Amino acid sequence: MSEPGLATPFPDRASAALRDRFLQEALGIATTKFIGLRREAFGEFPAGDALRDQARAIKEATLQHLDVHLDRLADNVERLGGRVHWADTAEDAREIVLRLCRDKGVRMAVKSKSMATEEIDLNEALEAAGVTPVETDLGEYIIQLAHERPSHIIAPAIHKTKGQVAELISAAAARPLAADPEVLTAAARVLLREKFLQADMGITGANFAVAETGTVVLVTNEGNGRMVTTLPRIHVAVMGIEKVIPSMTDLMVFLAILARSATGQKLSSYTTLVRGPRQPGELEGPDEFHLVLIDSGRSKQIAGPLREALYCLRCGACLNVCPVYRQIGGHAYGYTYPGPIGILLTAMLKGDHAVKDLAHASSLCGACKDVCPVRIDIPKMLVELREHVDRARIAPASERHVFRLFRRLLQSPAAFALAARAGRIAQRPFVRNGRLRRLPLLFGRWTATRDLPPIAARTFRERWKDLA
Amino acid sequence: MATRAEFLRRIRTEVGKAAPGFAATTAARPERPAEAAEAVWRQMAERWPEALERFQHEFERVAGVFHRARSVADVPGVILAIARAKSARSVVTWGAASLGLDLAPSLGSAGLDVASIAPGDVGDGVRTRHRGEAASADIGVTGVDIALAETGTMILVSGAGRPRSTSLLPPTHVAVFDRRRLVESLEQVGVLLEALHADPARTMSGAVINFITGPSRTADIELTLTRGVHGPKEVHAVFVEEPLGREGGR
Repeated sequence: MSEPGLATPFPDRASAALRDRFLQEALGIATTKFIGLRREAFGEFPAGDALRDQARAIKEATLQHLDVHLDRLADNVERLGGRVHWADTAEDAREIVLRLCRDKGVRMAVKSKSMATEEIDLNEALEAAGVTPVETDLGEYIIQLAHERPSHIIAPAIHKTKGQVAELISAAAARPLAADPEVLTAAARVLLREKFLQADMGITGANFAVAETGTVVLVTNEGNGRMVTTLPRIHVAVMGIEKVIPSMTDLMVFLAILARSATGQKLSSYTTLVRGPRQPGELEGPDEFHLVLIDSGRSKQIAGPLREALYCLRCGACLNVCPVYRQIGGHAYGYTYPGPIGILLTAMLKGDHAVKDLAHASSLCGACKDVCPVRIDIPKMLVELREHVDRARIAPASERHVFRLFRRLLQSPAAFALAARAGRIAQRPFVRNGRLRRLPLLFGRWTATRDLPPIAARTFRERWKDLA
Repeated sequence: MATRAEFLRRIRTEVGKAAPGFAATTAARPERPAEAAEAVWRQMAERWPEALERFQHEFERVAGVFHRARSVADVPGVILAIARAKSARSVVTWGAASLGLDLAPSLGSAGLDVASIAPGDVGDGVRTRHRGEAASADIGVTGVDIALAETGTMILVSGAGRPRSTSLLPPTHVAVFDRRRLVESLEQVGVLLEALHADPARTMSGAVINFITGPSRTADIELTLTRGVHGPKEVHAVFVEEPLGREGGR
């Protein structure tokens, strides 16, 4: 599948995804599997519900003193010999990493999976500066070879067939490889092992950062997070400011629910706690450790309508259960973070204009809120976001007119009854197989991709009059 | 670009503007971490047999291979058997002091190349040499600082004589521990980590703590589970019934 860029409007990106047979099948299988694994994991974990409440409380309590925790984190990282960098914007964050590369003569950087570096388009910036970034998470490596973007927060390459993967890795290995995951994984191990040993810089994100101890926490299954923090001479961790948590005791609460929510594992294969560069007496580890803290619209939401989105652990559970994500996949959203939480994060990072269509890419069914490990009220924020987008007159004019009309009807019982009677007659030419489709004029845009039940032969209110 | 002071001032302003959220507290930390940690170990002195059973169950669920050795003297035999099964020729191990036993004589006399790191081994030359040894070794042997039963996890603290790469670069990882390393829950691990960080200059010589739960794995190609993508393809736990002679006692 070719990835429709942002130049294509969202409805067209979504339609393209809906026409992609393989994507449809892959999404169905992957999301259904993740849902089952998660359900099973929490099913056999009675403490899970209470821990989710506690995790939510810890996130809230941390936000209430975010400045204090970040200050403490920075103190501890520096005490351990690391350096902390403060990035107001994505551009600042890129510039910080690029300057480090320039100053330290970095030519190749190995990366472990990081949404924060996706968010700031770091790879493009590195390439433009003559530094080769190598993604080392297998899924990320595959999509890097394909020059694409991740389509799922934790399973970036679910939209690729093993045949496509075989072509990509064969080209990288310069020999033909069978379309067998075992063979392809073994080949990637050899290719990437060489990169780990050669690279000057390791770049990671952070699942958490523990303020009290100055520790950055990386959760991976492959072990690439360990490689990039062990072998290169410089380690750079890039994270949003909301990833800080106060203590090791808090960390245990999050670890208990994170992997269960993401992949149904009790813990991922590797949870790596890194504090600073190589310590005295230690043989291995980087000479230098840098922590880049990114704001980029986050701090504005501490007192803003998207505050709760700052609790997000990036587990991906809300993507899997979302009826919209399950149909269109990650690319159609058009930005780094897909799915229900992705819409909110996109609004946070890119502003309301970026989500004028996306704000409606939700059925508001609430499944996302049910599975969220920290119980973020995503539907409530999406409704508020829609209202906001409407107030700011960002939505298309025709849509705003139709909704204004609809609001008038809902406010007056007489007008509503009249409209029902008129609509019953007017709808006749457009009912096909018991559904309303392809309405003309103002309603056209709305029904081009949706069908509606027609107005009933006798409305509830008409029947009620007879009963009363 | 913002200075730290400007950056934090803005956040402080926003925190001040925010409507009071719901009353929320962070997790309650132990007031005296060292004593709390001692209390955990005292509990486990009684409860380790159940924890061991649970550990084995969970470890095997994540595809770990569990072994039991009667005595410290039996451990090299267990490792040799693993080495033979893997047709291994070279082994890299933590230093004898960190591991609690010296594997070099017995494995060496059985014809394996054994590379090891002692606490004093630091510096660029040693690092480069050891990286080569670890990258080419068939098996890496480490100790375990905490064996967590509820998830089948082995927790390893890096430091002098205990390189990070031993449990990472070789395709097979063998970890050796005794009953004094077993705990039941993540909550207990939290207490132990609080204690470890209360005075890290004394308790931790390294920068990294790794929680290892089974082999390296991925499902990134059509959701097919594949092991050993970057880290070890196989992870073995060797439980020794007799106490290992470990640094730091306990």
